[in-house]
Amino acid sequence: MDSVQGTLAVPVARRSIGSHVTRAFNAYGGPVFAVLFVVLLYGPLVLLAVFSFNDSIVFSLPWSGFTTKWYSEAFANDNLLMALRNSVIVASIVAPVSVVLGTLAGYAITRLRFRLRGPSAMLLAAPLVVPWLVIGISALIFFSQVQMALSWNTVVLMQIVVTFPLVTVLVSARLLRFERIQEEAAIDLGATQMQVIRYILLPHLIPSLAAAAILAFSWSFNNFEISFFVGGFDQLFPVWVYSTLRHASNLPIVNAIASLVSVTEVLLVYLAYLLITWRSGARSSKEKADTFIGSIR
Amino acid sequence: MATAAAHVPKSSSRAARAARKLRPVWFLVGPMGVLAALFVTPLIILVMMSFQHYSIYGAESGFTLDNFRMLFTDPIYRAVAKDTIIIATTAMLIQLAIALPLSYFIAFRAGRWELPMLLLLVLVDELNPIVRIYAWRMLLGREGVINDFLVWIGIIDQPLDWLLFTKFSVILVLSTSWVNYTALPIYASMKAINPGLFEAATDLGAGWFTRWRRILIPLAAPGIFVAVILVYIPLFTDFATPGLVGGASSYMLGNSVADLMVTIGDWGGGAALSLLLLGAMGIISVIAYYLSKLNQLD
Repeated sequence: MDSVQGTLAVPVARRSIGSHVTRAFNAYGGPVFAVLFVVLLYGPLVLLAVFSFNDSIVFSLPWSGFTTKWYSEAFANDNLLMALRNSVIVASIVAPVSVVLGTLAGYAITRLRFRLRGPSAMLLAAPLVVPWLVIGISALIFFSQVQMALSWNTVVLMQIVVTFPLVTVLVSARLLRFERIQEEAAIDLGATQMQVIRYILLPHLIPSLAAAAILAFSWSFNNFEISFFVGGFDQLFPVWVYSTLRHASNLPIVNAIASLVSVTEVLLVYLAYLLITWRSGARSSKEKADTFIGSIR
Repeated sequence: MATAAAHVPKSSSRAARAARKLRPVWFLVGPMGVLAALFVTPLIILVMMSFQHYSIYGAESGFTLDNFRMLFTDPIYRAVAKDTIIIATTAMLIQLAIALPLSYFIAFRAGRWELPMLLLLVLVDELNPIVRIYAWRMLLGREGVINDFLVWIGIIDQPLDWLLFTKFSVILVLSTSWVNYTALPIYASMKAINPGLFEAATDLGAGWFTRWRRILIPLAAPGIFVAVILVYIPLFTDFATPGLVGGASSYMLGNSVADLMVTIGDWGGGAALSLLLLGAMGIISVIAYYLSKLNQLD
């Protein structure tokens, strides 16, 4: 009772300068904070893109004029082109393999009942918990023990290990949300489990699987740790950026190619967004975004 | 239940039952085979290696604890471990300080900006992490845009030296690299809170601090737990960020592991150090788990 009376008194007592400050903070504090946050996340990349057109070898003010020469120089740099080519090849192999393995595992742990389901799910989650640094160095030791030379081939193998469990998470989330009634109806009508997969689950999963392939491509392309340890002499794009910076020489080229890669990645994510939300039943943009975020988290 | 009854007759034959028993095997043989060969086996070899003298030049030995003895007695590793803990913990606290109010804003106050904000949080994850670190390095340098700008508007007359290659830069870049992972689970757990609770608390006379302390934080605790597991642990093994924007004072355990493995070639030592890191992570997860439980009971 005391506290209630206390509160009734408070607004009266404080309705002066304090309440204006509080009200201003309530109204604008959140949005200002959010904008600052977005600037912190994206600002550096936007400036990077802007300065990639700056006609100067150093990344600094004042502006020295517009140029696209760093882009043409980037495309004339053999090491960079090789690294990009390696990364694209690796990601193009890792993505489809991860989607197949991830989907098989996701189906098994969400739709099949068997004794080792719990341990299987734990083993599938383990590569998501163990840091990539540890996975990378254990792979480095492993490949030397089995005398397999490090190259982009070994990067492919190890990236599959860290990428397909992410697809499993994505696919099993989708399967858990998918109403089982249709599958049960099909079984009641005499369909075998394979027919259920072929005619009911797959058509529903295909947009998610396509999106998973795009995301797996981007995860693989972005992966630094694994490529760093098991790439051997084959450089991949993130490793190229890393080593170029450590022995800095042609930084404007990095600005140019990094901007280009970032824009491509934004477009790819947009494509994944379209695929996941397409035929998902989500109509409003709110539902669409929910589906999308739910699918990739 | 109805389905279970429905396929009893079909599966009554022994062959059909055997086939159904084998089905998980067909689905899992590929994924599990990959994990067994390329994830579990290498980890086992890593454990074995940590108890041996082993380098790229060969020279294997029998069982020994020398690698661990070296890590625990060499003062360098103690200093690096201290710096790593300081950097990772500060970065984690900064991220929580940003993510808690931000998630609260996105979940309850943002209105039509809620989804764009979420999409921005998700999108940043798909951008290349090395490129993001690189962008910061370009901004923070002695001749970088931030120093230029500060000199130009006259706040300082000499460029600041501590912006890059210091603990400050490593903590800043680690925080911005991971804060989206901190914010998303916290947002998800806050979204599940009934906003009516806040109104009820306000009606009963609770100020904003009490509302946060007694309602928001306890109910968001599971999300905070997930965020800490997801972010605090990888912070300990990061070596790209200190490698690119760090200096001598921000050399972290991840760099030690990478250097032991790649530069020095002491694989036994690298294996032992990464095992210790893995163990420390296990302990952190258990502590975080119990803390989130305690908070909920409160």
